[in-house]
Amino acid sequence: MKSMFKTVMAAAALLAVTGCATQKGLYDWGGYSGLLYQNYKKPETVAANLVKLQTHVSAMEQGKAKVAPGLYADLGTLYLQAGERDRALENYRKERAAWPESAGLMDSMIKNLDNKPAAEAKS
Amino acid sequence: MKAIFALCIALLVTGCASPVSKTDFSAFQAAKPRSILVVPAVNKSLDVDAPNYLLTTLTEPLAEKGFYVFPVHTARTVLEQEGYYEGDAIHGQPPQVLANLFGADAVLYVTINRWDAKYVVLSTTVTVDFDYRMVAKDGTEIWKANKQLQYSPQNQNTGHPLGNLIAAAVSAAMTRADPNYLPLAIMANQQVFNMGPTAIPAGPYGVVN
Repeated sequence: MKSMFKTVMAAAALLAVTGCATQKGLYDWGGYSGLLYQNYKKPETVAANLVKLQTHVSAMEQGKAKVAPGLYADLGTLYLQAGERDRALENYRKERAAWPESAGLMDSMIKNLDNKPAAEAKS
Repeated sequence: MKAIFALCIALLVTGCASPVSKTDFSAFQAAKPRSILVVPAVNKSLDVDAPNYLLTTLTEPLAEKGFYVFPVHTARTVLEQEGYYEGDAIHGQPPQVLANLFGADAVLYVTINRWDAKYVVLSTTVTVDFDYRMVAKDGTEIWKANKQLQYSPQNQNTGHPLGNLIAAAVSAAMTRADPNYLPLAIMANQQVFNMGPTAIPAGPYGVVN
């Protein structure tokens, strides 16, 4: 009973902390910030986290939901760092199309990659 | 048990009451930023990982306020390519240069004053302390705030039901070997952006209150 009480308290606390965000949230983040945190904390999990972020973004697209700001772009950068230049470009273009505010940065990312042979793309 | 569930519902219903704003937001309103560039923090704590960890917590609360937030991992990578690895070097640049590099309307600077855990025999006190500053692309400061939050097991009875629940959530994340500062940092961001006199106005994609 005591452990159940603890679980309920923890759940309640989580609700209290995150309640506002989920209640009137604009976006489904799919654990984006946690994935970035894992990337920095445990670099050996980067490849797995890339797959998780891609899975989330694909699910959003299939459900015709707006992909949260920055997700396409950071997914693109993770692809670029994994040596997948074409998938990086594809995601930078999607970020640019979804968010006009990103145009300046995305144009320079895209231009930079277009001018670079694929072999040099990995940073 | 039922009482606790009832409390949860009550919290969910009442937890989001609009704060009473006393800060002068005329510069913010005049700048009307649509997009915010979050740059890596200046670190005055002894934890070298703190700036990276903090960086991951800032996008969601600002984007949920209705701003376009530049992809933090991409931005960090671009800054490194430009030769800026540390928060100090980045914060030392004119804001106009950074804003122009990314096409951002505003830049958010955070300084980590504290990010530490103090251990005594049976207790742990964890503290985060951040200075926040937002500057428009023309260099005008449009918002600033400070937030310190402290967690220690003895303080769990805060005398306030919401405070107690939050303390329990943070407590769950605090292990002696590897304290996770993130819930405390996330809470600091939530409070500073959304509650009390420092709460920033909604961005273009946000709900206009």
